[in-house]
Amino acid sequence: MNELSWFIVRRLFQGLVVVLTVTAIVFVVTRLIGDPVAMMLPLDATEAQRETLRRALGLDQPVYLQFIDFLRSLFALDFGQSYWQHRPNIDIIRERLPATFQLVGAGMLLSVVLALPLGTVAAMYPGRLPDRITSALSLVGLSVPLFWLGLILIYVFAAQLRILPSSGPGTFAHLILPAVTLALPSAGRLAMLVRSSLIDELNAPYVKTAVAKGLPLWRILGVHTYVNAAVPTLTMIGWEVTRSLAGHTIIVETVFAWPGLGLAAIQAIQREDLLLLQAIVFVVALMVVVINLGLDLVYKFIDPRISV
Amino acid sequence: MNAFKGGVRAIVAAGLLAMAPALAQAQSVTMAISSEPSTLDPQKTMDGGERRVNDNVFEALLSRNADSELAPGLAIELPKRIDDTTWQFKLRQGVKFHNGELFNADAVVHSVTRIFSPEYKSMVLGDLTGIKGAEKVDDHTVNIKTTRLDTLLPARMYWLKIVPVKGSEEPSFASKPVGTGPYRVTEWVRGNHVQLERNPDYWGPKPQIEKARYRFVSEGGTALAGLIAGEFDFVDNLQAEFARQAPQVARRQGLEHSFSAISTENAATKDKRVRQALNYAVDKEALAESLFMGFAKPARGQMIGDKSFGFNESLKPWPYDPAKARALLKEAGAEGSTIEYVVPASRWPKSKEMGEAIAGYWQAVGLKTDLKVLEFSQFLVRLRDRKARPDVIFSSHNNALMEAERTVQVFYQSIDKATSSSIVDAKADQLVAAAGNEPDNAKRKAIYNELMLRGYDEAWFLFLLNTDDVYGLSKRMTWKPRLDNKVFLSEMTVK
Repeated sequence: MNELSWFIVRRLFQGLVVVLTVTAIVFVVTRLIGDPVAMMLPLDATEAQRETLRRALGLDQPVYLQFIDFLRSLFALDFGQSYWQHRPNIDIIRERLPATFQLVGAGMLLSVVLALPLGTVAAMYPGRLPDRITSALSLVGLSVPLFWLGLILIYVFAAQLRILPSSGPGTFAHLILPAVTLALPSAGRLAMLVRSSLIDELNAPYVKTAVAKGLPLWRILGVHTYVNAAVPTLTMIGWEVTRSLAGHTIIVETVFAWPGLGLAAIQAIQREDLLLLQAIVFVVALMVVVINLGLDLVYKFIDPRISV
Repeated sequence: MNAFKGGVRAIVAAGLLAMAPALAQAQSVTMAISSEPSTLDPQKTMDGGERRVNDNVFEALLSRNADSELAPGLAIELPKRIDDTTWQFKLRQGVKFHNGELFNADAVVHSVTRIFSPEYKSMVLGDLTGIKGAEKVDDHTVNIKTTRLDTLLPARMYWLKIVPVKGSEEPSFASKPVGTGPYRVTEWVRGNHVQLERNPDYWGPKPQIEKARYRFVSEGGTALAGLIAGEFDFVDNLQAEFARQAPQVARRQGLEHSFSAISTENAATKDKRVRQALNYAVDKEALAESLFMGFAKPARGQMIGDKSFGFNESLKPWPYDPAKARALLKEAGAEGSTIEYVVPASRWPKSKEMGEAIAGYWQAVGLKTDLKVLEFSQFLVRLRDRKARPDVIFSSHNNALMEAERTVQVFYQSIDKATSSSIVDAKADQLVAAAGNEPDNAKRKAIYNELMLRGYDEAWFLFLLNTDDVYGLSKRMTWKPRLDNKVFLSEMTVK
């Protein structure tokens, strides 16, 4: 086996450990704080009614037995039945994944499209007006709470101007507001990073040499500095995608009634649907591991010096 | 120039007028409900989204009229009790399910058997307890058997939706349900919407609205924006804060009553005068105004509404009288004592805010409050702890059967007999037991009235608010909300 294959195998193994740890934590925490039976029955249900339901759901078993059962079914790729929807969890996840991918894909693309030019302009005029404006915009972008931003966008573009739908999935127009909401804060963070890594590069001796040689600016930026600034930027993009998948979509999908995995997660929490929640966490953890592995490979491709 | 503008306006107006009849022909509405149904099987689970849709798709043997009184539904008249444990229903003839199946005694027997079958694991049996089974007498007559004398059986049957014998056994039933109601489900796109269409073969009067789309919007601000933008005609559970911005608001005093149970056993609240002081100290009007923007009223010394059987007309809300509260505390020698108050952080609107305000009111009359705001599951642990009752614990009650029976069984009996009680009182136990065995309506009502009065005098509870059900409507919608919080498309009209 060559070095690269070893690297991948090792990373996959580490990823597996991460996924299992996360899943175990969620398993324990949800069982400590919640009682699905209490949520599913009316408040004045009798102890006998609760006991019956608890048995029916398998929650009368000791926690460690439940966990072993859970792991066994995971390896059989069986995520169990949702308490809430009375159908296989895997069906729910399969239904919800495309909406989340669509949202995160559009949001991240928009974020990069906004951040690269803004960050570049700022880096080319450090400390001067374009830099100040971009930095201020970025700061605003990364500081606004997603929840608030979403509602403001809905209020302005749906309720007042009436040019975009307020919520729900459907057409391309439906995607615009949620994607913008997801994109703006992350574009703010990205632009700041692009700016600072470009400034570092632009001050490097090789750039001075290139300028002295008379290379045009677009060549210096396009061929040299961008490639060198790509590693931190890619790290940040990966991190943004991860944050979106594992956190921000929960908020954005709730505000926009966007039927993705994040909304399913919050619904599962509200209904104490432990099995569905575990399944979602497992899938999201898996995606995060895969994204990170993919990034590691891309780094190696960009900069062969990065050791594995 | 002005003449030109006027001319354009006239043309546009004429065009709109010409279009109006065309629009009027296809009456369709979009309803924003707070959660997607988890299933559209009407017998399976306690689920607000499911109810919103299925109340239009399925029917029960009985309905409730505009005054919230029980009325015929799929049964042609109110049932008769033919012996202590048997109620006889005469069924409507010529009614068909959406799939063409005939509605008859078999469908009723099947519906009852299905929901109680242990393998089916229904989670909505709470209001149906006491039903033993159903027997077919002839094609259009059914006997419902109860385990004991059950005067509430007719009210229970309002909550049991009738499903078809064959249709309900199809695997697709939970996603494409088949009922007898005025609307049928034509499409359910998960995560997106449920589409209903008027049932052309409906046995009853033909509703005006032809098509309804149910969308699922959990965030209140988003739903409001959709309402303002004209995307929605109806928004369920409109938050009181948003009422002023909505194009139209429909409200009605509902069945929800917030209160707090005061322990008669704990040292701090053993003295009746202390419990009364806790009531006098709190300004319920102010809570209703400031926390619910006026969409609530002080409860009238009980947790059931004035339309419910057993409501005691003579009771008024405990007045806000901090001076009296101080005097009573002084008399009882309880000045400066500490009251533990357990309040859930969620589940009921504004419970946390109410708890904080009430703690402030108690402090103002010279008590110390040990306020514990708990996550709902932790709150439940305290609520169900039969041994160590909190001095005072927040709760809320919604009696959908509209008769005091469940209310008194759950809250007006001694701790060892009830699921959520904080009292010990032999007299109450005796009264609750007597009500359960009393077939005579007038006598039963008298017993409930006595219990309500006793609960009020003894101040077993801190009576708080009776909240309104609030809905947002588009300008073109005409609709009157119902006391039982059901939303029937057949009762709505749009321009």
